[in-house]
Amino acid sequence: MIWKTAWKNVWRNKIRSMVVIASVTIGIFGGIFAVAVMNGAIEQRVDAALNEEISHIHINDPAFRDNYDMQLHIPNPAQVLTSLRETPGVTAVSSRTIITAMANTATKSAGVQMIGIDPEEEKKVLRLHNTTIPGTGDFFETKSRSKLAYIGQDLAKELNIIRYRIDAAMLDSLASEEVPIEVLDKLTPFKGQRFSSEKAFKKEMKRVLSLKEQHNYGALILEKAWSFRARSKMTLTFLDKDQMQTGAVFRIAGIYDIKNSMYEMSQVLVKNEDLLDLTGLAPDHFHQMFVRLNDMESTMAIAASLEEKLPGLEVLNWKEIQPDLAMMTDLVQNFYAIFMVIILAALAFGIVNTMLMVVLERTKELGMLTAIGMNKKRVFGMIMLESVFLSLVGGVTGMIISKILIGMTATKGINFASYQEGFEAMGFASHIYPVISTSFFITVTVLIVITGILSSIYPALKALKLDPAEALRTE
Amino acid sequence: MKVLELKNVHKIYNSSEVKVHAVNGVTLDFDKGEFAAIVGPSGSGKTTLLNMIGGLDTPTEGEIMVDHTNLAGLKSSALIDFRMRNIGFVFQSYNLIPVLTAKENVEFIMSLQKWNRKDRDERTYELLKAVGLEDRVNSRPSKLSGGQQQRVAVARALASKPKFVLADEPTANLDSKSTETLLDIMEELNKEEGITFIFSTHDARVVKKARRVITVEDGKVISDERKN
Repeated sequence: MIWKTAWKNVWRNKIRSMVVIASVTIGIFGGIFAVAVMNGAIEQRVDAALNEEISHIHINDPAFRDNYDMQLHIPNPAQVLTSLRETPGVTAVSSRTIITAMANTATKSAGVQMIGIDPEEEKKVLRLHNTTIPGTGDFFETKSRSKLAYIGQDLAKELNIIRYRIDAAMLDSLASEEVPIEVLDKLTPFKGQRFSSEKAFKKEMKRVLSLKEQHNYGALILEKAWSFRARSKMTLTFLDKDQMQTGAVFRIAGIYDIKNSMYEMSQVLVKNEDLLDLTGLAPDHFHQMFVRLNDMESTMAIAASLEEKLPGLEVLNWKEIQPDLAMMTDLVQNFYAIFMVIILAALAFGIVNTMLMVVLERTKELGMLTAIGMNKKRVFGMIMLESVFLSLVGGVTGMIISKILIGMTATKGINFASYQEGFEAMGFASHIYPVISTSFFITVTVLIVITGILSSIYPALKALKLDPAEALRTE
Repeated sequence: MKVLELKNVHKIYNSSEVKVHAVNGVTLDFDKGEFAAIVGPSGSGKTTLLNMIGGLDTPTEGEIMVDHTNLAGLKSSALIDFRMRNIGFVFQSYNLIPVLTAKENVEFIMSLQKWNRKDRDERTYELLKAVGLEDRVNSRPSKLSGGQQQRVAVARALASKPKFVLADEPTANLDSKSTETLLDIMEELNKEEGITFIFSTHDARVVKKARRVITVEDGKVISDERKN
């Protein structure tokens, strides 16, 4: 009966209760959705890092990462490879030769890391090949004996390898996407023109298009104007094994786009045989091995066992390779809980205020209940239940709304295109797919109940202090 | 068989400016099945007396024995429990729980006492029928007239078969027709259930119905008449 009475009391003053419930709903929804977006961004970052950049475990000489000395290679690589492949939980291993180089085109240059790989091995360890921009090449498939390179989109833009051109085909393509004729008319004077950089192209577009047109069609125009001539040339210069400068012209056989500016600017993949041939290093001269596991959760255990198996080599798990990722995944859960606690603490004040009004308004009724035999425990319990119900109704509503919205955005994602550069500079994709675990919902539910209970304490204690005889005399 | 005994009960209120002797040496006892009214002008001490009988206030001096239990000797939580099991209350302003129906208001005490559902329902329907509200079982107080609400309050007071029912000015907010109906019902229930009714009242109609009239003035009992 106490439960029924408490539940009905919540709806006694519908407007007041709805205001409190609405505030809890908005607070919970806002908190959960914000966490889902942050969580989605971090999960995407970790997923991208593990699957496109670093994999799970690295093996190298203990001093190699200090200054990437080309002489510090992995001794007995065949033995090490065998040992790794025989380790339970290891699905694939790739070997890499790493040289610091300068990438040059006619107009620009940039410092890069030149990584010699075996494309077939590499495809089993990382899925970088899946991020190749269509139409830019077939680096991982081709059997061509030319010197080929696979570079990031940001590096390609930096070196002016990617151009932006407006031509008839591009304008037709925009028309088929239902870009308004007024916009096409503004682009037509640029027909036949090629812009050497994204910056130059965007500058002209800003000049001719209105803000609204830029917002609505800017990204599409940029995408359609993007142009790359297959097998464009790039020179890579570096030092050979004797510290003599050398280099070669490479043809670009693929451009990858992983939404990580830093990586795209620095990592150039070439075929191992080309790199070893140019540097004069031995055919089995590898600086690093990347190890892919079948289960991310087993990384620490397997890394520990490899350390024992491979004394004299440095074995690094992904959290040690990228400590910023480790911080994001390990600390961030605590941060989410603190974030929700702060939101709920703010909401609690509203609930306390409402419950104090409830106790004040019902002084006579509470006096009557005590008079007819409702003991202090039950009075306390009834007020606490009202507070918990108030919090839960708002909390559950907020959770349902956030679940629906997360469900809707989980497949389409949220596009922060306006901030794309900033996101990619930090290694994050600008198109985020919110995600939240069931355990987080459970945590939030528990926190809501605790908030309801704690919010009820002061009002309930006020109720307990009422003298029934005096309370009954209240008007 | 005595259900209630007051032995030399005093209640003195001490404020910083004045000392008020609200109840001044009252000695009374009540048998099972009595239908008694305590009358007196405002300030005579009858409400204070009723509060002490009901365990809502403690005497400064003296004893109040309910079924051989001294109320003054009980701690707060024990007193509340004692009230729940032994004393029924009918208040001037009905004091029903507005969010509960007539049925839920009547069965409230029984649910606190953990009666099983079958017995609870049986007793509830029996009482609501006795007070003439069997067709308003699922109505909330806001849908009932003042007289109907007070009848529900009477049913609630009797629900757990208390030793006695204290009614403080139960007819003060009712019209004459409702008052007559209510008094008839209470008299009928008094006879049927054998539960003692003690009224605190100014209402002459209540005094007329009562079989015992205790007059209080300045905190003292000045007369105690039993009618045949």
